[in-house]
Amino acid sequence: MIKEIMHVLYRMKSFLRKPYNIILCFMLLFLGYLTLVPMVTMIFDTFTVHPAEAMRLKRPVGSFTAMHWVKVLFDPSSLSVFYKPLLNSLITSLGACLIALVLGGVFAWLVTRTNIRWKKTLSSFFIFPYIMPSWTLALAWYNVFKNSVVGGVPGTFTALTGLQTPNWFAYGAFPIALVTGIHYSPFAYIMIGGILRNMDANLEEAAMMLNTNRNRIMRKITIPMVLPAILSTFLLVFSSAMSSFAVPAFLGLPVRYQVLTTQLYRTLNGLNPGQGYCMAMIMILLGVSILAFNQRLTGTRKNYTTVTGKSSNISFINLKKMRTVISILMFLLIFFVSILPLFSFALESVLLLPGNYSAGNLTLQFWIGSAEQNSIANSEPGLLLNPALWKALFNSLKLSAICAITAGSLGFLCGYAIVRGRGTKLAVVVDNLAFFPYLMPSMAFGAIYLSMFSTRHGVLPSLYGSFFLLALIGTVKYMPFASRSGINSMLQLSNQIEEAGEILGVGWWKRMIRLIVPIQKTSFISGYLLPFISCMRELSLFVLLVTPANRVLTTLLFYYNEKGWSQYSNGINLMIVLIVLLINGVVNKATGASIDKGIGG
Amino acid sequence: MPEIILKNITKRFGGSFTAVDNLSLTIEDGDFITLLGPSGCGKTTTLRQIAGLETPTCGEIYIDGKLMFSSTQQIDVSPSKRGVGFLFQNYALWPHMTVYQNIAFGLENMKWDKNAVARRVKELLVLLKIEEFPDRYPAELSGGQQQRVAIARTLANNPRVLLMDEPLSNLDAKLRMEMRTELKRLHHETGATFIYVTHDQLEAMTLATKICLLDKGLLQQYAPPLEVYSKPANTFVADFVGNPTINLIPFAVEGVDVSGLKLENVDFSFSFVPSRPLCDFTSKKVVVGIRPEDIVANDVEGLPVTVGSSLPSGMETILKLDVSPSLSLNSVVFGSLDYKIGSKLKAKFPGSKFILFDEKGCFVTTGSINAEQK
Repeated sequence: MIKEIMHVLYRMKSFLRKPYNIILCFMLLFLGYLTLVPMVTMIFDTFTVHPAEAMRLKRPVGSFTAMHWVKVLFDPSSLSVFYKPLLNSLITSLGACLIALVLGGVFAWLVTRTNIRWKKTLSSFFIFPYIMPSWTLALAWYNVFKNSVVGGVPGTFTALTGLQTPNWFAYGAFPIALVTGIHYSPFAYIMIGGILRNMDANLEEAAMMLNTNRNRIMRKITIPMVLPAILSTFLLVFSSAMSSFAVPAFLGLPVRYQVLTTQLYRTLNGLNPGQGYCMAMIMILLGVSILAFNQRLTGTRKNYTTVTGKSSNISFINLKKMRTVISILMFLLIFFVSILPLFSFALESVLLLPGNYSAGNLTLQFWIGSAEQNSIANSEPGLLLNPALWKALFNSLKLSAICAITAGSLGFLCGYAIVRGRGTKLAVVVDNLAFFPYLMPSMAFGAIYLSMFSTRHGVLPSLYGSFFLLALIGTVKYMPFASRSGINSMLQLSNQIEEAGEILGVGWWKRMIRLIVPIQKTSFISGYLLPFISCMRELSLFVLLVTPANRVLTTLLFYYNEKGWSQYSNGINLMIVLIVLLINGVVNKATGASIDKGIGG
Repeated sequence: MPEIILKNITKRFGGSFTAVDNLSLTIEDGDFITLLGPSGCGKTTTLRQIAGLETPTCGEIYIDGKLMFSSTQQIDVSPSKRGVGFLFQNYALWPHMTVYQNIAFGLENMKWDKNAVARRVKELLVLLKIEEFPDRYPAELSGGQQQRVAIARTLANNPRVLLMDEPLSNLDAKLRMEMRTELKRLHHETGATFIYVTHDQLEAMTLATKICLLDKGLLQQYAPPLEVYSKPANTFVADFVGNPTINLIPFAVEGVDVSGLKLENVDFSFSFVPSRPLCDFTSKKVVVGIRPEDIVANDVEGLPVTVGSSLPSGMETILKLDVSPSLSLNSVVFGSLDYKIGSKLKAKFPGSKFILFDEKGCFVTTGSINAEQK
């Protein structure tokens, strides 16, 4: 008996002697508590009676009920509450995918395989929409094409041409799909372009030597080679588009075009949190199954998606007479989606009366005017004098910095431990747990935390309305970025690098600080940059959780937009875009890390 | 300098796959041992277990009389306290440190005095003939130079045992030859015990004082190189060691008498004269091993054969000699010679280095043969 206990103790001792095992155990508890427990809490919540319903149902709070699920799925009202938004979500996401793939794919092909002009400039501006918050383009579209049919003032386009834009063009499915598609097209470009760039040119040359014509090479060699990347992009864009909230909120609400996320926001903010949680569950299920499918796909096809070789001397297709024409067309396209929106925001923020673009209507009072001057907007002082704005800016920066530091560090450790413990069950479980938040739509994730932390939970007091809750959810939600980049870079680093230190008696802490971190500098910094920028531009994750006291820039923007004070929302948007671009640019220059090099949503 | 003892070392991965199976080995002080075998035979696992980078499932490891690992007594000394140096296959140089920093890092970590570190690094740079490069980064060095830096780093704190995991496999053929000479010199100069993993039988033959040959986690033979070559423990060893490959020809035993064994197969009848008397030899089937260099092929006399292929390399020519449609023999002819494919030669089998294996493929004895074709 004693011998057996000794044996177990010895096993534990030698297990814990490996630092990665300690990290894995810690992560198991940490992530388990912050991802699985909320999930379970939410599932329970969908089956229990909520305080607001107790009276009507004449049942005590907390007792079992299947009503929420019935209401969502099998009620006459289900059609408008759930099925219609679901259909709208599917339509817009599918449209966005096609647009992103066509745009990104064609651009990737033009840049890697033809002699198009200004490649460098074009490709660095092409990824702009991806670095900018997703609603940026939505707001720009709204500024330019809004009409007076649904009330309110007309947009720039109508003001300039006198033509009234039709509703289908200005709001709803078409612009949502288009704008989301454009936002994700750089993502498609990065994925497909990466494959095209790394694809061994010999594969195409071998076909050329066998007297195959260009067309056939394209159909039989190039496209099948990039097909897995295309499918993978398709699924990732699809699930990101499904979970996007801001774009449909800006472009759908004027005509009551509801998608799942906006409907979820409505339900959760209203009196039916139970139904909201049901919908959140369905969204999570959708997201998880799409990405699980994607992982299976890339898992089995990996063999030929990662073909790499020297493609230095690939012969570019000569576009001949079309060269300049296509180059200019691409340039114009990029100008419209990357540069013009910024001007639009600046312009909208200096209009005294929205919709009037005459020189006499320009004013800086929404930037620097005092409270008395701005009687139109409920006497809000100009942005630069507005304490609410400075508070929100400070909150945003503080939140982003905290999330970046915690998510980045924990994610890196996680990546390290997962790679070191590769092959063990524990590592597999932690790997999946750490990636789980990525699969969860932000809005649903926010909903879970709302459900779980609005009351006292174990040792934790009620966290609703606290800054800590925002930091916590940000950390967990953005950890996948850091852990993915950590895993990828650790996989490329041979174990031997660390073992060489271990044999010399270098302790674990020193091995990390002196060997691993310096070698992995770039991906280490990417692991901080991605969460920082994502957090700076995050809306849907926080929108359910912020209270007026801890508003961040994005929710302040949303608040002004809901109030209809477009000058303020445009001004804030301009600030967010500039901050994000500036930080990405500075970090990129200084370290080589960049947001467009990692995954993102 | 220490002696290393492995007792019944077994390593299983994931419960089912056995990488090393009940391996017992005594490595004498100052030996240069090579662990040899095809890939996946457990040689690297064995090496890493000695270093402490891998934990055996059961067994005991002693270094210099001290128990370093024991599954029953629950002892597992950490790698840094075993007094071993480890040279990695990919060198594992730290890319963000210069040559000097790479070599000095371990010493600084042991809290050596700054001047002592500088002195020791200088010494190693000279020993390994890389004194011009202390300020270069690994990426700025050639493969051979990187290898030297890796060796210097490993030798820095005077390990009593040097473990090497295929250290030359990333170098080109010429450099590999040069580094082999260098390693033998280092072994001589440092007096340390070297354990060296390789899958290259030529490397094992030329470097080692003793070869430890493994297959599928099982020890096949542990003996000096020339003994492994001339008296292979079984047909696997015979086949693995030697290039071109040994000819292994199966025979049925037709009779045993004072002069030896009467052997027969479809192509040949042999009489095998063993170098020692065979008492109670009962195998009905045997295999005879003939090293290519023990076949003399010319146009004078002997077994008629046809040249199937001829690969001249200047110093020697490797021939494939067809005896019949079902049997051809590897052979080697010394000198600058070439033969047309299809030309007729005569083969003789002089000497007494032919090897007899029993029906299980285990070594029985050496001897001489008389061959006649049917």
